[in-house]
Amino acid sequence: MKKNGFSLSELAEEAGIPARTVRFYISRGLLPGPVGAGRGAKYGAAHLERLREILRLQEEGLTLAEIGVRGEKAVPQELPEPEPWWSYAIADGVEVRVSSDQAPWRMRQIRRALTELASQLQEPGEREEQED
Amino acid sequence: MTVAQIEATGRFTAVSGKTGEELELAMQRLWLTGQVTPLGARLLVEHTFESAERQPVEAIYSFVLPREAALKSFRVQGEGFEMTSDLREVEAAVQEYERGIDNGSLAVLARQYVDGMMNLNVGNLRPGEPVRVVLEILAGVERHDEGFRFRFPFTLAPAYHRKAQAVSLPDGGEMELPREEFGDLMLPVWKDNARGLHAVGFDLELVGGQGLTEVISPSHALKVGGEGEGRRVGLAVAGDVPDRDLVLEARSAEAWQLAWSWEGAVSALLGSTRFGEPEEETPRKVVFVLDRSGSMSGSPIKQAKKAIEAGIAALRPEDRFSIVAFDNEVEALSSELFDASKKSRIRAQTFLSRIHSCGGTELAAGVEAAARLIAPEGGDLLLLTDGQVFGTPPILETARQAGARIHALGIGSASQDRFLSQLGSQTGGQCRFLTARERVDLALLDMFASVSGPVASAVRVEVEGTTLPARDVYPAQPLLVRGEAAGKQLQVSWAEGSFTVPVVEAPKALGATLNLLAGAAEIADLESRIEGEPEGDEAEQLTALSRKYGLASRVMALVAVVEREGDKPGELPQTRVVPVGMPQDLEREAYFGAAIQSIGGVLHAIDADMAMEPMVEQRMASFAPPERVRAYGPAPPIRRFWDRFRGKDVVVETEEETEEDVLVELASELEADGGMPGKTPEERIEASLEALERFLDSGSTRSRGPFRHHVRRLLDFVSEADLNEDQQDRLTVLEERAAD
Repeated sequence: MKKNGFSLSELAEEAGIPARTVRFYISRGLLPGPVGAGRGAKYGAAHLERLREILRLQEEGLTLAEIGVRGEKAVPQELPEPEPWWSYAIADGVEVRVSSDQAPWRMRQIRRALTELASQLQEPGEREEQED
Repeated sequence: MTVAQIEATGRFTAVSGKTGEELELAMQRLWLTGQVTPLGARLLVEHTFESAERQPVEAIYSFVLPREAALKSFRVQGEGFEMTSDLREVEAAVQEYERGIDNGSLAVLARQYVDGMMNLNVGNLRPGEPVRVVLEILAGVERHDEGFRFRFPFTLAPAYHRKAQAVSLPDGGEMELPREEFGDLMLPVWKDNARGLHAVGFDLELVGGQGLTEVISPSHALKVGGEGEGRRVGLAVAGDVPDRDLVLEARSAEAWQLAWSWEGAVSALLGSTRFGEPEEETPRKVVFVLDRSGSMSGSPIKQAKKAIEAGIAALRPEDRFSIVAFDNEVEALSSELFDASKKSRIRAQTFLSRIHSCGGTELAAGVEAAARLIAPEGGDLLLLTDGQVFGTPPILETARQAGARIHALGIGSASQDRFLSQLGSQTGGQCRFLTARERVDLALLDMFASVSGPVASAVRVEVEGTTLPARDVYPAQPLLVRGEAAGKQLQVSWAEGSFTVPVVEAPKALGATLNLLAGAAEIADLESRIEGEPEGDEAEQLTALSRKYGLASRVMALVAVVEREGDKPGELPQTRVVPVGMPQDLEREAYFGAAIQSIGGVLHAIDADMAMEPMVEQRMASFAPPERVRAYGPAPPIRRFWDRFRGKDVVVETEEETEEDVLVELASELEADGGMPGKTPEERIEASLEALERFLDSGSTRSRGPFRHHVRRLLDFVSEADLNEDQQDRLTVLEERAAD
């Protein structure tokens, strides 16, 4: 998959079906429409996954009508607005994510707690070394 | 205002924001014009599109090509533009179409699939933008000795396929076909009620080439103008609904004797009666093959059963017969052919009385079983079917291998005319297609009566020294000759005789049509022999034919892209498959089940999510009834119809009985020796003379009409009987009348 998603024809090619069929599935509500509009309209990995799922279900003998009933929750129709998050790698294999949308006093409180947590999570070896 | 809303069916439909009612569809109107001749038709089919939706639409109209038909081109017209299609290899055409769609342009693609099924795609139709697409189609007609029948599909019938899935909708049904065999073909949604769908109509010119006596239609109300060799035929009302084929029947004053020339080519049509009568000597081997699938239920199967009984009654002692009935399963009257004795007739009647229609249409299995009965020398199969099957090339292959002449009698308001005509032509048999409102029994009897050896063999057709390819001539099948030749006279000769026909120079437009018709027939024939996607040699041959005639096929499609001002690249059109009406006379239960319809009203009222749940699935497997109803009781007593003539034992029928019903029933009572039944020889002679009179009154003679075999057999019986003077006199009169 390209960095910013597929065009309709790329998506169709990837799934191995004609573009016309993809449009038909979108119009039937089996597959969500693209993200963005016009030339910038893109389809993502979720679209491809759903398309493959439709084809698989058809192989299994389901009709499009049935697939439509099943696929209600498949992919949200439109992506939600992005939200910024802070990421703290506080120990090997441990990462804590904190919404950046915090009051400054709250942020300080969280950082203090995380520092404490980070020291608790230090490798046992490291801690023993320190204690020695 | 318009909004798109999900109905209980899960489909998007355009509805009015004000009234909540479904809006008019993407395709508003289909109008058929053009010229129809006994050799075929050149048609212009105008499709008018206009969408009431707020976003651009990709409208897909699916239809089936008539017999021996191919697409030549289309014109797309709108406000400020007009463009003609290009003929391209399918892949290139699809790419061009997709590029057009992607650029926001108006893109039109006409692409053909298996069975002559077509998708006409009109992409990026803007809101409220009127667009007309006029398709030019070359199509064959059903040729009779003294006339022709033209059939144009205004709807595509749902049909049987082992792997198809049918879904019942509150107001109709939809069907899905396996991708590996049908590619991305889109079928229409079938609506129980065709009102509110696009309007259909026609205005056609009929060219007889020789005097036409009448033009009638068993399907539509006509207004007919003109006289002599041509007619102008239109729909008597302003518009009709797409729930049945258009069927026109033109009758000529006499058997065809027509030869047209143009630019070094000749096309001729010669009625079989021009070659005399068939020899009567050869014993016949006939198997009646009866389609008892669900879609045949009602009057078609009832009439077919009666007709078979009457056909068996006309068999001579030396003839052999059997009956095979099929749906998903095949059942045969016997494991070998029966003679036409009284005993076998009663067994046949019992067999027929047990037949009920239900289940799928495994036509190939029925044909195979019937062919086994007449192997190895071969014989004739009389197939009664609606032909409603998808994926016909393998069936045709089975039929060609069967070594039997297949005479197909198709029944239905929406046809598989293309398939059944191929079944006939590729096995040397004949094919007729009736609407369900016409009498199946009389047509079958007529077809049965013409099953015999050739009227003329080793036929030679020459135009001033050039020999044209010709086949043996069989009764009721006019000889069609096409080839490159020039001259003023067509010489026809065969073992027993000869005649000449003047060659008339065809007007220029007609000449070009005749050439294209030959191409369309060639393409349709080759395509019917290709199973799956055309590949290798087959694809090459087809491409060569397409290029030679400039006609579309499964490997060549028609495409046009119109760039308009204000095209918005990348805009995604909403796909709208144009619905058609469920063919009139076809019971929806045959394909889509009935369960949901009765609660259709409720479904609309409840929450859409809840309504999704009870969607009823009717898979093809469920075509088979839970248990076949079998009545193993004794055969019904043969009704003594001749008693009727004397006012005795008149059976009160629940339905009103017509004169034809009586005749068919009478015909089915003929005994093995050719006479009518009776308690004493005297009674039998009297009844036979009366029956003869009835058949002659109905217009049948020794050589004409559906009862011609019955007439001959009765005459033979009576002339060999011990007659009194009065009876002898009556016989003399009847013999004269029968001599035609």
